[in-house]
Amino acid sequence: MIELQNVSKRYIVGPVTITALDHVSLHIAEGEFVVVLGPSGSGKTTLLNIIGALDVPTEGSVRVNGVELSTTTQAERFKFRRETVSFIFQTFNLFPSLTALENVELGLDISRNGRNGRQTAASILASVGLGDRLSHLPHELSGGEQQRVAIARALATGNPILLADEPTGELDFRTGVQILELLQQQAEAGKTVLVVTHNREISRIADRVIELSSGHIVSDGAPRGGKAPVHALSW
Amino acid sequence: MNTRLYLRWTWRDLRARWLQVVAIAVIIALGTGVYAGLRSVNGWQRRSYDASYALLNMYDLRVRLTEGSYVDANELRAALDELPHAEWITAAEPRLIVPTLVEANDRETPILVPGRIIGVDITGGGPAINRLHLMSGEPFSAQTDPARTAIVEYNFAAYYDLPAQGTIRLSGGHELRRIGAALMPEYFLVIANEIGFMDAAQFAVVVTPLETAQALAEQPGRVNDLLLTLADGADAGQMRAEIEQMIDAHFAGTGITIMAPADDPAHHALYSDLESDDRFFRLIAYLFLAGAAFGAFNLATRIVEAQRRQIGIGMALGMPRVQIALRPLLVGVQIALLGVVFGLLLGQMVGAAMRGLMQDLLPLPVMETPFMARVFLQAAALGVLLPIAATVYPVWRAVRVPPIDAIKSGTLIQKSSRLAALLVNIPLPGRSFTQMPLRNLLRTPRRTLLTLLGIATAITTLITLIGTLDSFLATIDTAEAEFYQNHPERMIVTLNSFYGVTSPRVIAVAERPEVGRVQSGLVLEGELRHSGETIDVALELIDLESDFWRPTVVKGTYPTGQAGILINQKAADLLGVDVGDTLTLWHPQREGLFSIHMAESEVPVSGIHASPLGYLAYMDQSQAALMGLAGVTNVLYVEPAPGATQDEVQYALFHLPGIASVQPVSHFTEVFSDAMELLTGFMAIVAVAVTAMAFLIAFNSTSINVDERAREIATLFAFGLPIRTVLRMTVIENLVVGTLGTLVGIGLGWGLLGWMMRVELGDYMPEVSFTVTLAPLTLLIAVALGALVVALTPLLSLRKLARMNLSATLRVVE
Repeated sequence: MIELQNVSKRYIVGPVTITALDHVSLHIAEGEFVVVLGPSGSGKTTLLNIIGALDVPTEGSVRVNGVELSTTTQAERFKFRRETVSFIFQTFNLFPSLTALENVELGLDISRNGRNGRQTAASILASVGLGDRLSHLPHELSGGEQQRVAIARALATGNPILLADEPTGELDFRTGVQILELLQQQAEAGKTVLVVTHNREISRIADRVIELSSGHIVSDGAPRGGKAPVHALSW
Repeated sequence: MNTRLYLRWTWRDLRARWLQVVAIAVIIALGTGVYAGLRSVNGWQRRSYDASYALLNMYDLRVRLTEGSYVDANELRAALDELPHAEWITAAEPRLIVPTLVEANDRETPILVPGRIIGVDITGGGPAINRLHLMSGEPFSAQTDPARTAIVEYNFAAYYDLPAQGTIRLSGGHELRRIGAALMPEYFLVIANEIGFMDAAQFAVVVTPLETAQALAEQPGRVNDLLLTLADGADAGQMRAEIEQMIDAHFAGTGITIMAPADDPAHHALYSDLESDDRFFRLIAYLFLAGAAFGAFNLATRIVEAQRRQIGIGMALGMPRVQIALRPLLVGVQIALLGVVFGLLLGQMVGAAMRGLMQDLLPLPVMETPFMARVFLQAAALGVLLPIAATVYPVWRAVRVPPIDAIKSGTLIQKSSRLAALLVNIPLPGRSFTQMPLRNLLRTPRRTLLTLLGIATAITTLITLIGTLDSFLATIDTAEAEFYQNHPERMIVTLNSFYGVTSPRVIAVAERPEVGRVQSGLVLEGELRHSGETIDVALELIDLESDFWRPTVVKGTYPTGQAGILINQKAADLLGVDVGDTLTLWHPQREGLFSIHMAESEVPVSGIHASPLGYLAYMDQSQAALMGLAGVTNVLYVEPAPGATQDEVQYALFHLPGIASVQPVSHFTEVFSDAMELLTGFMAIVAVAVTAMAFLIAFNSTSINVDERAREIATLFAFGLPIRTVLRMTVIENLVVGTLGTLVGIGLGWGLLGWMMRVELGDYMPEVSFTVTLAPLTLLIAVALGALVVALTPLLSLRKLARMNLSATLRVVE
């Protein structure tokens, strides 16, 4: 599903060249729940952005769902994002002038799954526990609720890959756990879920943990001590 | 406090938004530049007029004898010496003024226009009062035999590009040597008569020695005009009374009009134009400045919002509010200064362009165009104050927010306006992202409103300016339709005096083979008076039963064969009369061969005529006896014979004695149309500035929106929504604001136009009923500018959107 071969990403800032990813190779299979772990500046968000076609690698090959992203045009990357990946952001990035229901409808519209959009959006929101918050604007919702709307919006696209960048970063422990549970359910339902975090505790519930440091993969495998249930987490 | 740190910091703030800053600065520059440039012109005009009139020794009093009256020049001089305060008179200049036709053959196409011979005393080298300012050629004093020489009025000569010297022919075939062209105070603006306006192309004034004019007019030794200058401290009112008594005593039955410089048509038009121009220019400048204020407020608000967290941090660090407020305020000051610098440069450019226009349009003996420091200071003060005032409110609001709120980030600061919340329960058509533009507009209602008002201001300016032109043209069309009716070929032949309707001179006209139908009439200057109100009129006595031409009556009846007058609705309104009421007509009354005085008669208003020109009044020819003019005529209405052209009629009649002018009826509206062309040029310049302003306001607003919503746009991109769809959303958003702004602008512009035409021009040209209208093309231009240009502004953001760093933008925390 996701195949990276010798991927590097370098940024040139004035006279300095910063290597965010340095010859990274990896393979992620369909339906895997993968946590990319690493401290700040390790290159984990860059990795996520390259997989999500928000950014292009300086060198190497990135093939996601059969699409070679390192050589695509901007228009092809837009199409890829519309049809293959869905993002969940740390700061939710909901549209403040749209209600919870409309934010989810937007996901349906963008991916052109908009038939019976309102009902579908309502049922997706109900599935993330927000059936009673449909007509609330984002600022009327708590952080956890907003992130659940963001997940619902991502799910509405029907895309096979979910990319979550620090999805619990803005949330308290209890709410964070609920969000992780939702993401885990998506993986169990067959979606490929990639979560980027600096919180090692979260990596315990993954099928696989890829640890990055200074742009290199320093470890890749099952969580240490085996996969834990969500209710066993604490931070 | 470290001032240099603050200056560096705010300079960086400016650089971060340089494009928006420059856009606002340019809007401010447009406002201050237009203000400084146009108002400088006003100052220059006033100084130049004052200096020019002083240089050429404009009269203090002018005594005009009623048309057809003449007195002996020596008797008049002697009578002046007997005035009780004769010592108040420092100089007296009797003149003879007679109408004529003037032909100049210096060009391939001969020029034949009506004109006026002014005979002046040249013993001192030329007239001592209302002196001639020679622009080309030689003065009378340089001539060995000045008797057959003439100097023509400069504006006429310049219009036709006549060489300095040549010949001219006058009515009756008299030929004079043209020795030069000169400016004269009475013709700085060429106004042929009470109903004339900018007649340089259509009216030639020829100055000759007094004896020459007397010979040409067959009035040896006689004059009909007197110019006086008075000593300092002389009582002009007392002098008027003494002159009236003197005329009654020495020249009984002779009617006179005594004029002060302010009564001179050109003097009056130039100075009253200054007042109305100043109000007009100021209005335009204020509209520009209002647009600048709206734009500046938007930008200031955005800058303050972007600094919200930093303001919170400042509060958390214990910085005093004044110090916190200083940074955004300094940005306002810097924008203001930038705008003012641009504006003053633009003002100089506008001034330079207007200076050239002024010299071309209105050549004067003295042109004073100094740097108008006071005007520029006022412009600079306005340009500085507006953006600073626009910055103060958002800053004041920002520093009053509790620090804990100011310092919040990310999702905690998300807010939506109450208006956006209202929309939640209103079902909107289309997909969610097609609904977003409307929701986005309501989400930031203040910015939406200010952008809307900014665009509305631009459209208001445009509508007011072009609407003025439309209204002028519509008024001209109405006047033209009334003049033409079923006889657009009709021509007006003015005679140089009163002649019997069966006199040889009148018969000679009718017998010319080029002339078809002829109808005689009388055109007299007079006044209508009622309830303390007075208006000047050109009173025409014509056959109101004629099927050749007669005014259209829109209310009341034709006073055929009976006493009664037709006036237009504007005149009726000004005088406070209606059909059936009686008013006082002040009119000429002939008592002897050369003796015509003014008299009052009570006349009923029989009807209202259709012309918009309130100075036109009509009576039936049968009422000529009231003026002592029964059986005489001074104007003939003729139609070319079948196969003859208007030009052929003009030339045929020119050679006949007693003809003062021969003009197609279209001449009266052509004069206005010529004036409109000048106005059109000025309007075009302002329209470009207005377009620039609307574009800049829209660009600024769009740019701010794109900046502010960068993260949302990046999110849409992250979900794969194509750039064109995002761009379309922004275009729709702008189209909505642009359309609303245009509608508001059209409404405000219509109101302002009505005010301009009725109140402002009502003061300046009270006798004209202006048709207040907007041409469909004007509305189309307004919509194209206000809605389409504004809607398409986001296309300029295409590059910015295409190059957006998605990963970085998605993580932005404001």
